[in-house]
Amino acid sequence: MNMFKPSVIVLALSTALLGCQQDTGPQKDKVTIEKNPYPSTYKPHSTSSTLITNATVLTGTGERIDDADVYIVDGKISQVGKDLAVSADTTVNAAGKWVTPGIIDNHSHLGAYPNPGVESHQDGNEMIHPNTAQVWVEHSVWPQDPGFNRAREGGITSLQILPGSANLFGGRAVTLKNVPSETMQGMKFPEAPYGLKMACGENPKRVYGGQGVAPKTRMGNMAGYREAWIEATEYKRAWEQYDKEYAAGMNPDAPHRDIKLDTLRGVLDGEILIHNHCYKAEEMAMMIDLSKEFGYHAGTFHHGIEAYKIADLLGENGNCAALWPDWWGFKMEAYDMSLENVAIVDAAKNSCAVIHSDSDTTIQRLNHEAAKVMYSANEVGFDIKEEHAIKWITYNAAKSLGIEDLTGSIASGKQADVVIWDQSPFSVYSKAEKVFIDGAKVYDRNDSKYQAVSDFMLGQR
Amino acid sequence: MNKFKLSILTGALLSSSAVFAQVTAITNATVHTLTKQGVLENATVLIENGKITAVNPKSFNADVTVNAQGKVLTPGLIGTMNQLGLVEVGAVSRSVDAYDKSGIEFDPSSAFNPRSSLIPYARKGGLTQNLSIPSLPWGESGVFMGLGFVADLSGEFGSVTDSQSALIVDLGAVSGDGSRAASLQAFAKKLSEQKKKLTSKKDKKDDKDPSAEEKLLTQVLKGDLPVVASASRASQLLELIKLKEQFGLNLIIDGAQDAVLVKDELAKAKVPVIISSVANLPTGFDALHAHLGNAGTLEKAGVNVILNIAGDGSHNVYQMRFNAGIAVANGMTHEGALKAMTVNVADAFGIEGGKIAKGERADVVLWTADPFEFSTRVDKIWINGEQVTTESRHDKLTERYTTDSSMPRGYTK
Repeated sequence: MNMFKPSVIVLALSTALLGCQQDTGPQKDKVTIEKNPYPSTYKPHSTSSTLITNATVLTGTGERIDDADVYIVDGKISQVGKDLAVSADTTVNAAGKWVTPGIIDNHSHLGAYPNPGVESHQDGNEMIHPNTAQVWVEHSVWPQDPGFNRAREGGITSLQILPGSANLFGGRAVTLKNVPSETMQGMKFPEAPYGLKMACGENPKRVYGGQGVAPKTRMGNMAGYREAWIEATEYKRAWEQYDKEYAAGMNPDAPHRDIKLDTLRGVLDGEILIHNHCYKAEEMAMMIDLSKEFGYHAGTFHHGIEAYKIADLLGENGNCAALWPDWWGFKMEAYDMSLENVAIVDAAKNSCAVIHSDSDTTIQRLNHEAAKVMYSANEVGFDIKEEHAIKWITYNAAKSLGIEDLTGSIASGKQADVVIWDQSPFSVYSKAEKVFIDGAKVYDRNDSKYQAVSDFMLGQR
Repeated sequence: MNKFKLSILTGALLSSSAVFAQVTAITNATVHTLTKQGVLENATVLIENGKITAVNPKSFNADVTVNAQGKVLTPGLIGTMNQLGLVEVGAVSRSVDAYDKSGIEFDPSSAFNPRSSLIPYARKGGLTQNLSIPSLPWGESGVFMGLGFVADLSGEFGSVTDSQSALIVDLGAVSGDGSRAASLQAFAKKLSEQKKKLTSKKDKKDDKDPSAEEKLLTQVLKGDLPVVASASRASQLLELIKLKEQFGLNLIIDGAQDAVLVKDELAKAKVPVIISSVANLPTGFDALHAHLGNAGTLEKAGVNVILNIAGDGSHNVYQMRFNAGIAVANGMTHEGALKAMTVNVADAFGIEGGKIAKGERADVVLWTADPFEFSTRVDKIWINGEQVTTESRHDKLTERYTTDSSMPRGYTK
């Protein structure tokens, strides 16, 4: 049973239909695919205005402004600069403190692999087939994961939740605003595009090869991707043909709906961004070629331990690389670690270096992760300043998620996702003091009123 | 044959360096002695023959003088509870020597690989010694892991200094069919059986030699062999304190995420506690009180705290100093955090070193500044009196891919 008609047959049939002038009666209802069936219900929590004064501001776009003010109105950054002559509902004197855009983690499993990490909570890897592009990780997210609160205390204002890496195609990723909510939809970043998780290398071949099912090897991985994209290409053509014929006044039958191929088609249409777990230089290069073979963009490579070996290639092709500063050695593809990986990738022309966590622990300290890279790189001759390094966990992360026009920097008109740090966030002793999402204070280290507690932790004393 | 010759040669070189022992003086250092002397400014430390021979002598003659120029000198850090030297790549089974089913008497020290690429990398984090422990394959559980051992991180052959430093038992939460009650009973049963054998030994005629396990249990009962028990639930920690008192154990608790609930009892019973300072999530129902402030809270209560790295502590142990900084940012004293990676570890496991004082093992680290800060680097490091490098293959990779060459990268060495 083929789930859709191969395009050649569709074409032939439609030509035949045209020729015979059959089925020209009143058109049946047009079949359309609802692309957003689980829409965001997130609403910014505040419309009051806030003025943060006298801070060291890192804009997230490479600029540092000392003794600067940030003016927030209606959830948006209104002005940034020295001695702003404005009045606000709330003024925060941030003398001696630092202000950055909200930190964005583009690789998290919070909610899908929540704490407590018990058997009942293993909701991140649909390990039943190498291609599970039909699953959406948002349907696994438990908003009460205490990890969301811990991450917010570390300045995380947005984060992408990804399915795990057992499969060649793990499923759809979702980007969230890090606000307390009873529902996933209440956290869902309204305008963020969907992501598709893909995985290279050891994980898929180990999971399926161990079961005697393809892929068993790296070449099997590639064959699996190619077969899927061929199928997706045919599916896309079938729907386009249907839309075209319908628009021409004919009465064609809609192709069979397939939610797995909906996701892959979304990538081919440029609506869904690829997020590819891929460690090794040669594999990333092949994934770029794969994307060219099928006409989509290879997106962001995650965990690219060897990204530094192909920094130029990543820049030329416009790929972001989401990296750890120092994880290594847990498997062969993680062996060739360089402490300067992020910095080397970053130094290439048209680069997009991102620091990610993939961890419920380090997500709380991505500023520290950026500091590790900055200082070790400067030790070997780079000259990276704080105002540049902050990009790795703000603007570049937003770019990787397709939300850089909305958040990720402190600039007029941007969503007011902002962190006030008690000192330079590049010190090991630094802590986020206040966190704002869309201008609303969502965390205050000195005010328990703004310290959310997960339902799970209530009464557990 | 060649390998054999090489080791003889190395042995000869090592002993020759001992014969022609030179005196190294580190001058103008800010020295964290971790003794009653506290922090000494512009201080001089003399090293000879693997030992610290003087701190701030009135005068000295040295073969080598290192002017620290105000940089910070601390004892070398000591890692614990990882598989350093027993694992190269976690997922490559034949590079992992940490697992075995042999139980209490499993001694992995003979598999310690001083040439592991993890070791120079650990030195980058200021580590000079390490307590490596056996573990279990992922997903398996069991009570008796075997023996932990101490090695210095010089990278030299023969760097295991004590092959039987602790008995490692896992008494924590069990998945599958097991109850933690059964784990505790299994351990208590071993101890009482051995105790019975020791007290009734004379009555028996068959004087057969005790087994390896029996010998080890005897050491445990005498308090000579520390026992590291992994457990986190507070009520279970109290059970362990009872066991310590019943059998006279030299008990150390690892994990201990809910230890703050019974901190006074732990302090009173003098049970050192090994924790990860960044553990602050309720990873399970035994860890509902995991918090960034726990290291400081336990310190304040008088518990002998030891800091380590959770998760893949073998590859990530270089991060230990940063975790110490996070502990300090959340309430631990700076000196307490430094002690939690040096003298506290040495005291708990009977390891030489951990302090800068006359007669101590000359494992010292010269840091460019505050050892906990990201901006700080290890400037120089001495293990057993010898200066060693921190360069690892990671540096070589960085160098290869940041060096311009008209040749393919493979030719840049």
